[in-house]
Amino acid sequence: MTFIKSWEDFEKAAEKLYLANPMKVRYTMKYRHTDGALVLKFTDDAVCLQYKTEVQQDMKKIDRFMINLMRHMVSSDK
Amino acid sequence: MVVLENDAFLTSLTLMYQKARLHGSVRVTLKRYDGRTKPVPRVEAAANKEEPEYSCIFRATLASKKISTIVTANALSEFQAAFSSTIRSNMDGLKKQKKSKGKRKSKATATQ
Repeated sequence: MTFIKSWEDFEKAAEKLYLANPMKVRYTMKYRHTDGALVLKFTDDAVCLQYKTEVQQDMKKIDRFMINLMRHMVSSDK
Repeated sequence: MVVLENDAFLTSLTLMYQKARLHGSVRVTLKRYDGRTKPVPRVEAAANKEEPEYSCIFRATLASKKISTIVTANALSEFQAAFSSTIRSNMDGLKKQKKSKGKRKSKATATQ
């Protein structure tokens, strides 16, 4: 699976995938210090979304996205 | 898989990040968790009566070492703040993007 180029596209697609089946999706972030790279992966085992960044500024957006995701996960609505 | 308390998880995670500074990568996974450790029995799947209480599970992996923690709705805001600061302070190997204003200008003038 290729990486999604723009963060906005990744965020939108991830949100859609999550809402389709909240219990099935998982979100993974892999950080390699030696390469200075952060790879994000969002999948429900059928569709896989990936985003890669090497830029510090992206951390802010990723952080916001994660907080949002966590809130959704613990809330009781489907 | 070791299930840790939220605070202990963050401490171990920090250690993992420090270990991975020389080589290797740390993977953190986040998933919704409804408290089940067994698959849904068929009978119950048909009935499907009460809503489970949702929480989220965090897992972290470095090479063969695995840790995990379960964050409940009540503990979320506290954990989330601590987690954010943990990853922010440890993922410091990313590049600082320089403002591309000057660059873009020079490119534009070059093409003109």
